Amino acid sequence: MATELLLLSLQEILFIAISGTLICIAVHFVPVGGAPAAMAQATGIGTGTVELAAGSGLVGLLTASYMYSSVPDAPMALVLAAGAIGSMTMMAVTMFFGGLVYAYGVGVPFASAQVKKDPITGARQDIYMSKGTQGQGLPMVCYVSGLIGGALGGIGGAMIYFALESIYKPLIGESAPAVAGIFTMGVFYVNAVIASYGVGGTIEGFHDPKFRRVLPKDTLTAFIVSLLCGVVAVLIAWGMV
Amino acid sequence: MVLDLTMSMAILALMGALATIAGCLEDLESDVGSQSNPNSQVQLAPQMNFLHRIYNKAVSGEPVSNGMSAVISGTVTVVLLDKGFFLLTAIALGALVGAIVLGIFATTSYAGRVASQARFKQPLYMDIMRYTTPSIISHNFIMNVCLVSLAYIQCVVLGHPFPIPFLALVWGITAGAVGSSVGDVHYGAEREFQNREFGCGLNTALSGRIVIKAESGLRNSIDNVWFCAKYGGPVTGLGLGLVVFLSSWPATIIQPRTIDDFWLTIIIGLIIVVLLGIAHRLVEYSINNAYGPYKEEKNEKEAAA
Repeated sequence: MATELLLLSLQEILFIAISGTLICIAVHFVPVGGAPAAMAQATGIGTGTVELAAGSGLVGLLTASYMYSSVPDAPMALVLAAGAIGSMTMMAVTMFFGGLVYAYGVGVPFASAQVKKDPITGARQDIYMSKGTQGQGLPMVCYVSGLIGGALGGIGGAMIYFALESIYKPLIGESAPAVAGIFTMGVFYVNAVIASYGVGGTIEGFHDPKFRRVLPKDTLTAFIVSLLCGVVAVLIAWGMV
Repeated sequence: MVLDLTMSMAILALMGALATIAGCLEDLESDVGSQSNPNSQVQLAPQMNFLHRIYNKAVSGEPVSNGMSAVISGTVTVVLLDKGFFLLTAIALGALVGAIVLGIFATTSYAGRVASQARFKQPLYMDIMRYTTPSIISHNFIMNVCLVSLAYIQCVVLGHPFPIPFLALVWGITAGAVGSSVGDVHYGAEREFQNREFGCGLNTALSGRIVIKAESGLRNSIDNVWFCAKYGGPVTGLGLGLVVFLSSWPATIIQPRTIDDFWLTIIIGLIIVVLLGIAHRLVEYSINNAYGPYKEEKNEKEAAA
């Protein structure tokens, strides 16, 4: 029975593996500086990678699931886009208000320590860095990187939800969204933690040299782990039969 | 439940208001209990010979601890509703249980953390525990009430497929993520190092050298929350309120029926994101000109001259 279910759900398992990998890649894009950024000693948002990625991804999950329940015959692209927009909105608002606190609450200009000029606006960065810090605030390149991360995370979360909902719905009917949602959250945390270990807790975004260094290894790890998560998700469904 | 446009907008406004209060109180709760990233400095201070009277809870990362209290509140509320309790009573009792559980975690983690710092002679102040723990519980209580109400509206009125406890968990985690990204910076980078020149940026060498004296006497966590309530807390509230409002506003205003309408809501969402990006760039441009550039460019100009 279990093997039969696994064979029937191969496509869903693959979806979960791909979306887990997307979430892991997304976390690399999110500019988080951890405790040093909360003290305005490093560039990025002053929180942990896992916390922010999960927060934004879950808002995406809420918008995607609401969209999917309103239009059950919605194409997958629409559900994924809804997830991406939800996550991007959360990310954009959080980074904007975080920037307001850096600007008017702490009083530091935005500067990246990793590039001399912002690749997007072309503005000089090094002259705005204060002594003894590794940059501060959220320059535009970090902001854009965060938005890309939000979009990928939202797409990943929505895709897992889409896949799991289609497995669970015939088995448990109305309770399917809740179980699928909780499992999506689990896969989100698993992949966010993998990325967090890879980047060592802090990263500025796609312009950070760390990004290219750790991304391939983390992506492979996330794919394998998410594949396992997918198998487990289907085996859970076996208990529902 | 199908609502007309006016009612949908009213519901959305209510959700935004609830989220604003929840976000504000979430941040202030993390300031009064000293949680999340800024707490690393509070923990480091005794090692640098800065013995302090600041509460030191840090149950876990802010999203997780807030998610925990919100989901407990949501679960208890659902159980009470099932038993026939009146809605507001059920929410209030559920929120109280969630807040008390967080209060228990706060007390044990404060005692545990300070006890582990005994070698640095950091005392455990019983009066701080007595005064601050009820403040943590009450801040968290209001956050729980708002988040469970928000979850109730989404689940029952708007017909979201997720159950109330799960929605409360998601909003608790999101509130923690926004609070830890926005408001905590005001506590960590400004209030803890208020004796440094405003706008100087914080040298890494200053780590752990937090301000331990208040306007009068020794500084405690109540002083910190008084300061953060002036900027960090309200900005966090606005942030969470806008996350809730803007993520639902396009779908509410268009009331989509066809797939084309849904694509339109997504395009509107994208426009909102782009507008926020432009606003962020304007802030960056204006404050970089206001505070900077720092000395190096002046030196370069002098050298060029």
